[in-house]
Amino acid sequence: MTPAVLVLLASAPCVYWTQGIESRAALEAAAIKRLCVPLDQVDTWRRAGFTVSPITEAELAAREALPTPGVTARAGLASPTRSPWIVANGWRFTRAPAAKYVYTVAAGKGALAAAEAFAYGADAILKVDPADLRGVGSVMTFLDGLPAVDLPPVADLAVVDDGSAITAEVMNLLARRNLLFQVVQTPSPRFRINIVMGSAAYPREEAGDPSAFAQKIRGQLTDEQRTLRIYGSEVVICRLTGDGQRIRLHLLNYGGRDIEGLRIRVRGTYRNGEAHIAGAGRLPLEDQVVVDGATEFSLPRIATYAVIDLR
Amino acid sequence: MHRRAFVRLLAAAASAKATAGVEVAAKGPSRAPLAGTLQIRTGLPALKVVSRYSPAAIPGMPGPYPGRVVAVKSDKSVDISTGAANDEVVREMMARGMRGLTGAGTTAEAWRRFFTPSDVVGIKVNCGGYPHCVSAYEIIAETVRQLMGIGVPLTQIYLYERFQNQLDEVNYAPRLPEGLQIVAAERANRNTDNSGYDPATYLEADLFGEEDTRSNMMRLVSKRLTKIINIPNMKDHGATGVTGCLKNIAYGSFSNVARTHQGGKSHTYSVVGTLASIEPLRSRTVLQIMDGLRGVWHAGPFARTTKYVFYPRQIMFGTDPVAIDRLLLDIIENKRREQGALSIWDRSPSSLKMDNTRARDADPNVNIIIREPGHVEYASSLGLGVYDRARITVQDVTV
Repeated sequence: MTPAVLVLLASAPCVYWTQGIESRAALEAAAIKRLCVPLDQVDTWRRAGFTVSPITEAELAAREALPTPGVTARAGLASPTRSPWIVANGWRFTRAPAAKYVYTVAAGKGALAAAEAFAYGADAILKVDPADLRGVGSVMTFLDGLPAVDLPPVADLAVVDDGSAITAEVMNLLARRNLLFQVVQTPSPRFRINIVMGSAAYPREEAGDPSAFAQKIRGQLTDEQRTLRIYGSEVVICRLTGDGQRIRLHLLNYGGRDIEGLRIRVRGTYRNGEAHIAGAGRLPLEDQVVVDGATEFSLPRIATYAVIDLR
Repeated sequence: MHRRAFVRLLAAAASAKATAGVEVAAKGPSRAPLAGTLQIRTGLPALKVVSRYSPAAIPGMPGPYPGRVVAVKSDKSVDISTGAANDEVVREMMARGMRGLTGAGTTAEAWRRFFTPSDVVGIKVNCGGYPHCVSAYEIIAETVRQLMGIGVPLTQIYLYERFQNQLDEVNYAPRLPEGLQIVAAERANRNTDNSGYDPATYLEADLFGEEDTRSNMMRLVSKRLTKIINIPNMKDHGATGVTGCLKNIAYGSFSNVARTHQGGKSHTYSVVGTLASIEPLRSRTVLQIMDGLRGVWHAGPFARTTKYVFYPRQIMFGTDPVAIDRLLLDIIENKRREQGALSIWDRSPSSLKMDNTRARDADPNVNIIIREPGHVEYASSLGLGVYDRARITVQDVTV
């Protein structure tokens, strides 16, 4: 386990809202208290008791637009049940942690987008479908209630970022497989594996099939040496932070269906732990064991998002 | 029953190690008392078995009757014009089969050879061939009746399958006494329900680069049942060649097994037998009742239409799943030959229309995956039973 240099403080994204104060009841019913609003509406919403950040159209337009997270059908490329095509943005946040982002998410995906941004500590604004307010509000309340933990991200390998699209896609597929990577500018001696695109070890032609490329990296790392393994789903993507004594694991379920009995393996010995599960609250870990230098446990159920704290 | 955890690494057949102690040496079997001359392939994927359970003194598979099969046939068992089974005839077939297998003087005594009133008995059915070829209601009902007759309480009898939606379709409950438990591990084949599986008992393997590399045993099997009766059907299978005793008990008791075959390739050759050999499944599966009242000779394991349904009108009894499946290979192969269909042993790329189930359903000379009927022979290398046809004794009974 190698702690990365950069520490990101998790913070919940804010909901971009242009409707007038007459929509206050809908926001309050959804328990949404934090908004990003146009300049001319700031005072009105503040007087109504909301936590408000002003944002201009220009500032919004300058942010990097993100695709709606979730799974999608890709005939011939992904199986709908076993290994679906996942749209996830964690790799973007890992690659450019200081960037500013904006989601325009379809109904039903707001909660996942909010959790995703929070998990990676991204500075993100959410444009949500009004029909999604309750779901978004629920996850925002959950995020606000999480115990504050400030731990560095954990990585098993490094990717030297050459800024190219092909490297971006490799990062995407590494993240998709929960192969924990740190983005570096030059190879880091702290990692056994440094991916330098275009090198003899990692030719660009190979990266033309990023999925196969990620599989090659997995083989080099070996499953036994991976800090994190997920069993029982192919649609959960994780972000792991820790300092050797404590672990905070963020689990994002992109599949759109609740998953029961998800099994997680984290290298290292952690005797105590608890789960904070969106929609279910704080729960003990199930079937927790320490075996072969790793801690394993199950979650009773995860809908969209869960946070695991291990000590 | 529990002991310290052990981990076995099965690195292909070259180092395959059976829980019963049959060893297969690097270049072939040095001693294979149950299997005769084996021709086990090399280059198989590494399979890691994790289980805390130790085998019984006499594991249920192959049990007390290795290489022995009683085949009870009756032309009156099924009306082939309607597909309906005759309950009375089936009962008689069951009685004759169980007595023939055990040599017991009465049917009850035959059942007592396997079960006591303190047992918690699982009945592994097969619902995949709904509506035309599933474990017959009549056989299941008679099995339950016999268990109750020797004193096993209804609350200790479980009928199980992996998927609830399949059990719902087949709907055994109205045919069975109230109080019997009908249990599934998952709502449907969606890869989202893992709670019904034992996180500590599993096969680990990376077969196609999948991230979820574990197949876990059902909790019901590892934690609750003390004995299991396996009741498969006589069916063709697109990935394994046939689906009989081994496939039904293995793929019907573990999670995440569909991952073993895709893109024209099947790893079922070694995975089926390895799953069946994992304790405690191997030790607790004490009786095999192969329901051959109806069968499927192509496009299996499904039977949404009667197009490929046929009527062997027989039930096979034994404790050796390999021996029964060895006979099943011939039954399906002969039926396919009779129908002018491709052999289950065909490995020709020209027959392969990868993942094209529509083409496969339309044409019995199309494979969607290179089938692995050799999984039966491989299972024998793990000590699960007798594959050599010359060493299998079949007692034919006609009702």
